[in-house]
Amino acid sequence: MDRQDRIAKTHAGLARRVLEQARLLRLRPGDHLPEQAFATAFGVSRTPIRGAYKLLEENGLIEHRATAGYFLLIDPAGDTAALESWPDRAQGGLAETILADRAARRLDGDISVSFLIRRYAATRTTVLNALIILQSDDILTRVPGHAWRFRPLLDTPNAVADSLQFRLILEPAAILAPGFHLDPAAARAVRLGLQKALTGRIGTAAFHRLDTDFHSLVALGSGNRFASDTLLAHHRLRQITQKDLGTPEFRLRQSSEEHLTILDSLERRQFDVAADQMALHLRLSRNQRPDAANRGSPPMPNTGPRTGPNTGPNTGPGR
Amino acid sequence: MKQNPVIAFFPEASFGAALNSVAIAQALARRGAVPVFICHPGFTGVFAEYGFKEVHLPQPHQTGNAADYWQAFIKRHLPHFQLTPLQQLPTYVGPTWEAIVDTAIAAESALGATLAQISPDIIVLDNVIMFPAIARAGCPWVRVISCAETELPDANVPAFLSGMAADDPGRPGFEVAYLAATATAHRRYGRFRRARNLPPLPPGQFLESSPDLNLLLAPDLLRHTRATPLNPATHLMLQGCVRDEGQFDLRLLPDHPGALVYVSFGSLGAVDTGLMDRMIRVFATIAARFVVNVGAFSEAYRQVPDNVVLGAWFPQPSVVAQSDLFIHHGGNNSFCEALYFGVPSLVMPYCWDGHDNALRAVQTGVGGALHRSDWADADFRTAIETLLRDTAIRQKLATASASMRQNPGNEAAAAAILALLHA
Repeated sequence: MDRQDRIAKTHAGLARRVLEQARLLRLRPGDHLPEQAFATAFGVSRTPIRGAYKLLEENGLIEHRATAGYFLLIDPAGDTAALESWPDRAQGGLAETILADRAARRLDGDISVSFLIRRYAATRTTVLNALIILQSDDILTRVPGHAWRFRPLLDTPNAVADSLQFRLILEPAAILAPGFHLDPAAARAVRLGLQKALTGRIGTAAFHRLDTDFHSLVALGSGNRFASDTLLAHHRLRQITQKDLGTPEFRLRQSSEEHLTILDSLERRQFDVAADQMALHLRLSRNQRPDAANRGSPPMPNTGPRTGPNTGPNTGPGR
Repeated sequence: MKQNPVIAFFPEASFGAALNSVAIAQALARRGAVPVFICHPGFTGVFAEYGFKEVHLPQPHQTGNAADYWQAFIKRHLPHFQLTPLQQLPTYVGPTWEAIVDTAIAAESALGATLAQISPDIIVLDNVIMFPAIARAGCPWVRVISCAETELPDANVPAFLSGMAADDPGRPGFEVAYLAATATAHRRYGRFRRARNLPPLPPGQFLESSPDLNLLLAPDLLRHTRATPLNPATHLMLQGCVRDEGQFDLRLLPDHPGALVYVSFGSLGAVDTGLMDRMIRVFATIAARFVVNVGAFSEAYRQVPDNVVLGAWFPQPSVVAQSDLFIHHGGNNSFCEALYFGVPSLVMPYCWDGHDNALRAVQTGVGGALHRSDWADADFRTAIETLLRDTAIRQKLATASASMRQNPGNEAAAAAILALLHA
């Protein structure tokens, strides 16, 4: 891959992140996209942000107004097709590639810059930029000795189970904290998205987006700033890293209907009911398949991390 | 006929039987019937995720917990999966039949109460053993044989679980050894049947044919010509039995050239992470993409090659449909799904009817067979590459697949089950 290619991929990856960030910030068509704010949010300089804006402009998603900067042309919440048709995460920037490779267990939990330079045939600057992007998303943390360590991702069934357990503790409590307030416009957008999805077949990718949108909306509404902040960060991590566990479509539809029911209760301000419904929803969302089954044997329950009985020198959680 | 007849499904606690039953239940639901699943403990939620009502049998009293049981099971049986079918008889098959008999005895009283509560119009049993409560339920019952056809004995059909041809000179010896290995369990089960007023079964057999309907997951391509043909009025051959599942997104695969190979050894096979890791190292040397089902054990793997994708669970029908080769353990469900979608199989069996299907894949020219672990890297690589290059096999499978898709087994099964209500 030559330098020009790498730059192009970095810009494509950043462009996708700009759209995702605009969606999370509930920006609307006509809203300004301040370069410095996005550069700060992603931990990069303004130059790559300009490159990403240029790409988005070429694709008709944003426009440049002389002396005023860049402005959104689409509704990132409503026009999910634009976001989904954007170059695949795997084809995006190096940061996305590194993240995908970690989720696929190609990379160990600890990585070094020199290793990444060799693996991706990239320059030190490109690798450092990618690591900084991942650090700004709380996916990587720096550890002593020139190493970087991945924080827990939702990349295995056990990690997803841990995530659900964590959310079961916090999400109902976030609703019950005094001062819960649902943003009516955002709630309407989420409701419309869910209703639209329920009219056809629901794919796992579309469900995943709707699911994180719904739970982020609830987190945003919490009256407790720390619960809100913690949950938003966690949903962002889910959005980026959660693996598909092959949930049958029936359950995806049922789950979407549960979202709508919780939304009804929140809009009626029946927060105690909504909190109970949320707890039930999260319990029902747990993967209950046994880890192994064999005739004549009690199925192996799916509790806790397992690395198998005979894994040789590679045993371990990936470090 | 009732407008919405209640059909009680009672699959054994294995994924093959469970998902085969889901496929039939989906076809029944489309016809207005109400499928209800009687669940073994541990399968709670599996059927509900497909939209079906579940009724749960209580957890039998156990000494120790299931996790300890599985630690012991793996320690005890992983080495046995290396053995020949004959060697497995005393070490694996016999003890498994003992455990199956235990399960049947333990479930009996709760099953009777559960059936009384559900009050089904028909019971569908996908299992390898009879439960007297089903015979007593007062409604027709359907036997589903989702294992290989060898489960129904016949002189022209290979001996069940033998992995050998019907006319293999070793057959008599195997049959004697099979009866010896299962004798204790069979005697105990015979006493249980007598006490519940069920007639005795011949040695080595634990489940009679249903007088009403028997469904065999046995596509034409795999059928044996029987010395005593099965009664077509009560025996229906299913041409595959494929459930509706989500779509597998090919975009999840790495950007890599080459054919697509799906690898799954079932939930039990996924337990052997050491062997799976060895295979993955070989996959890294082949110009193809590999989708590998590692079950609950993905955390056992690291430094996964760029052309390999691991997953805990895949919507198998969708993945198989897009694959050029399916490497599996010879589970009958997997084998028939490969045929249904016209995909060659490389069967690497470790137990039960996997041995029979490995031989059948070779005999019928729909794939290859290899020992599950006794191979050099070059042998394994050659077996894969040879099947990927074989255009004749692909043409043969395309014809068979087209024929199977014209008559999907789950739809035929649903129609036959509901027809019992008119009888």
